[in-house]
Amino acid sequence: MEAHGAGGRDSFTVPMTLLRFSVVLAFVALGTRFWLLQVAQHEKYRELAENNHQRTIALDAPRGVVLDRDGRVLVENRYSLNVSLVREKVEDLEGTLELLAEVSGVPASTLTSVVERHRRDPVYSPIVLIRDASLSQVAAVAAHELELPGLIVQQLPTRYYRTEEVAAHLFGYVGEVDDAELGTPEFQTVRSGTLVGKSGIEQTYNNFLMGRDGARHVVVDSIGREIDTVGEQMPVEGRQLQLTLDYDLQEAAENAFAAGGFNGAAVVLDPRSGEILALVSLPAYDPNAFALGIDQDSWGALNRDTLRPLNNRALQGRYSPGSIFKIAMAVAALEEGVVTPDDTVTCRGGGTFYGQFRQCLGTHGTVDMREALEKSCNTYFYTLGEQMEIDQIHKWATALGLGELSGIDLPHEVQGLIPSTAWKREQRGEPWYRGETISVAIGQGPVDLTPLSLAIMMATVANGGTRVTPHLLKAVNEGDGFVPVPRPVPRSQVTLDPTTLAVVTDGLWRVVNNGGTGRRARIDGRDVLGKTGTAQVISLQGRVAAGDTERDLRDHGWFVFAAPARAPEIAGVVFGEHNESSGLSAEVARHVMETYFAKKDGSPRPVLPLPPLPATPQVVPPVVPAVVQPVAAANQ
Amino acid sequence: MLERRLYLHIDWLLLGALALLCAFGVAMIYSTTYEPTTGVAGPQVATQVWALAIGLVAFVIMLSVDYRWFADSTVMIFVGLLALLGYVLLFGTAEGGAQRWIDLGVFNLQPSEFARIVVALALATLFADRRRGPQTTGGWIMTALIVGVPFLLISQQPDLGTAVTLLPVCFGILVFAGLRLRYVAVLVALAILTAPVAFFYGLEDYQRQRISSFLDPEQDARGAGYQQIQAQITVGSGGPTGKGFLQGTQSQYNFLPVAHNDFIFSVLAEEQGFLGVVVALGLYLFVILRGLDAARLAKDRLGTYLVVGVMSGFSFQVIYNIAMSAGLAPVKGLTLPLMSSGGSSVIATLAAFGLVLNVRMRRFTN
Repeated sequence: MEAHGAGGRDSFTVPMTLLRFSVVLAFVALGTRFWLLQVAQHEKYRELAENNHQRTIALDAPRGVVLDRDGRVLVENRYSLNVSLVREKVEDLEGTLELLAEVSGVPASTLTSVVERHRRDPVYSPIVLIRDASLSQVAAVAAHELELPGLIVQQLPTRYYRTEEVAAHLFGYVGEVDDAELGTPEFQTVRSGTLVGKSGIEQTYNNFLMGRDGARHVVVDSIGREIDTVGEQMPVEGRQLQLTLDYDLQEAAENAFAAGGFNGAAVVLDPRSGEILALVSLPAYDPNAFALGIDQDSWGALNRDTLRPLNNRALQGRYSPGSIFKIAMAVAALEEGVVTPDDTVTCRGGGTFYGQFRQCLGTHGTVDMREALEKSCNTYFYTLGEQMEIDQIHKWATALGLGELSGIDLPHEVQGLIPSTAWKREQRGEPWYRGETISVAIGQGPVDLTPLSLAIMMATVANGGTRVTPHLLKAVNEGDGFVPVPRPVPRSQVTLDPTTLAVVTDGLWRVVNNGGTGRRARIDGRDVLGKTGTAQVISLQGRVAAGDTERDLRDHGWFVFAAPARAPEIAGVVFGEHNESSGLSAEVARHVMETYFAKKDGSPRPVLPLPPLPATPQVVPPVVPAVVQPVAAANQ
Repeated sequence: MLERRLYLHIDWLLLGALALLCAFGVAMIYSTTYEPTTGVAGPQVATQVWALAIGLVAFVIMLSVDYRWFADSTVMIFVGLLALLGYVLLFGTAEGGAQRWIDLGVFNLQPSEFARIVVALALATLFADRRRGPQTTGGWIMTALIVGVPFLLISQQPDLGTAVTLLPVCFGILVFAGLRLRYVAVLVALAILTAPVAFFYGLEDYQRQRISSFLDPEQDARGAGYQQIQAQITVGSGGPTGKGFLQGTQSQYNFLPVAHNDFIFSVLAEEQGFLGVVVALGLYLFVILRGLDAARLAKDRLGTYLVVGVMSGFSFQVIYNIAMSAGLAPVKGLTLPLMSSGGSSVIATLAAFGLVLNVRMRRFTN
């Protein structure tokens, strides 16, 4: 016993010191480590911890509402139900997408491509898989809640175009911002997945229309459950835009096209200011389909459609103007002093120019310029062409806005073409042959123009030489009422001789009011000016050569107009695609003008003859004898 | 059995430090199991309080009976331990892929937690008899058996972490019992040399995974490295003064898994900051040094060895767990004695300290 005690105490000094030393050393090391983590590197870890549990969830801002000049709401927002995916809550992504595809009917490949597109988003931010889900799709997702964790139903603001296909090209459509756009300064603050304008005014005025997204800062736990909201900024709706558009005229124009049964384009504007009153391109599409993020199939179908519904014919289609070009010829000849208004040409159904016989569509006898315009006499204008340089024609056509960009506030406007010697040299490396001027004189040959530029020509003639800039934006509401935007400056201005104006105006008046080619546009007491034109899709010889073909080779019918004659308030163009008749186009113009004047005077609107409807079998409800019947009858 | 004058020699300071650490533990368990959405703490708090009560009883028993009595009953106690460990292997309750518990109805008993005390007692008893020093062949064989058999039984559960804690117990006693320093050197060299072999052939895949992800936690940030990264974030974000009780975002929002258990010290660091860490480290260091005092003061070799064994195991576990909670050691299912949630751990630890105080208290008795 004693040995134990005495021996024990002394001999343990070394190991005891060693053990104590080791323990103290270890604790000093631990203390240092904690000091490093908690004091020296605290800031870094504080941030890491914050990133763990604090999240910012974006709240989509609705885009701005769009109204017409009378304040009618045309484009607004509605709240749609969307099925979205939160990836961090999903273990088997593939299985989830497959099951969702099965219960929703949306192809799995579509869902996969959506997820793929958003692979770089944070795993907690919802990816919209099905925009504007149907109630049955929402119900199916709810029913499979347990097998489909991570799928949520979100309410999101969605663009709503009240008028569906009407004025579709004018409004344009929205789509998810793409990678190329995200790289540009304009979209610097835009999140991926945001809907931005892709066409029409949605694109031009995207910065106005796009609101400011809000954000909700939440605290989440490790499985992404929201514990608390620590801050919230409400989204700010985009600015309201008032357009110069008069929806009554837009509707009238589109209805008139429907009644006529053809496609085409129309531009109606105020020649004094350049305000666009209506802008039609048919066939159209329903921009609502894009508001939901259009699917691949529909997009492909729209793009493959041979009628090219996505194409805005009014400013992207280039056509031969035909006889409408005679207006520019008349102005050029008078201003250049090549002819006087009273110089006459004798038309015997055509004439020989530079050794080639050129046909006229009639035998007009002796005509001066007024009559030549009225009857659209080719022989007269061939003769003008013979006496003029192509560059003189180019100069005056350009002054009227032909072959130029109009500067309209819509994207992707296409420039037309008026030939000149310089153009021929650059393009073909050849000199201009005078014989070619003969074709140009009646709007054929290498003359390619957009309907919009022809409307501008008409407006320029109507207002006496000011090439107004067509525009759609009238006023912007930033929250405290609509403030008018300054009118864009005219593109150019020429002073047309009063005689020139008087003669051309008189000629165009006769076209409509004196039994000329445009008589179908006549409105009693309104002194409508107009000019018809026919654009051959293919020459007579070519038609024979082409034989049987799928292509539509029927001619296009043009009509340009302005009214009333002395002080035009309304001007424009109607382009009837393959309608084979400028008269049909004139009728569309008349209906628009009638609507304009009726609205102005407060008189009843004109009624269109209804296009014949296919006879659909009517379900006739069985007649139930009832005592209320006589009362109901009496009410009628 | 317990003479009145013995009370005078109870180490009240050590006892006070232990009580403080246990109280910290309960507070931290409350915080980590607290559900912010409902405002209610988990059932682990009640379990811990009950375990502390039972541990107090165990502590009193281990304190009251003269430790030499336990030495006399070593064989019986050791056989009892082996029986329990064998029972666990055959009929134990499994949880999370390991069979470690005996279901006692009220709570689950984890016999491996008690292995350290029993092994310490057995080795102390062995070497208290001078004839069987660590240098003798018989001493080697006996040591190998006393440590090896429970080690194998526990590692088969599998619970390599707990099994490994037997090694510092053994090593500490061997050094005190006179193991020559050159043997110590040989042992250390052997350990270093066999480490790669053991790494590739002796470990399960998940164990290798843990070690390699410790060396480079970023390689598998969502998997095995996750806990280690989150532990560092938890500790670091606490800062000098901490986020406050119940205010730790890492633990409250469950970014740190098993926070109430293996990572309770990380939570303390998060909520109480570097100040809290210094206080807790200080308390643990005090407990260890004060406990080792009992070894120095022990009146016989048995007492010295017993205390050294217990304190070596305790120190190893404390240092390893705290190192792990600061991202300094591979993640192992090793609890922090006195603070971590876990009934068997609390009871075993308090019982062990009962023995330590027992030795110190009886330093003047015969």
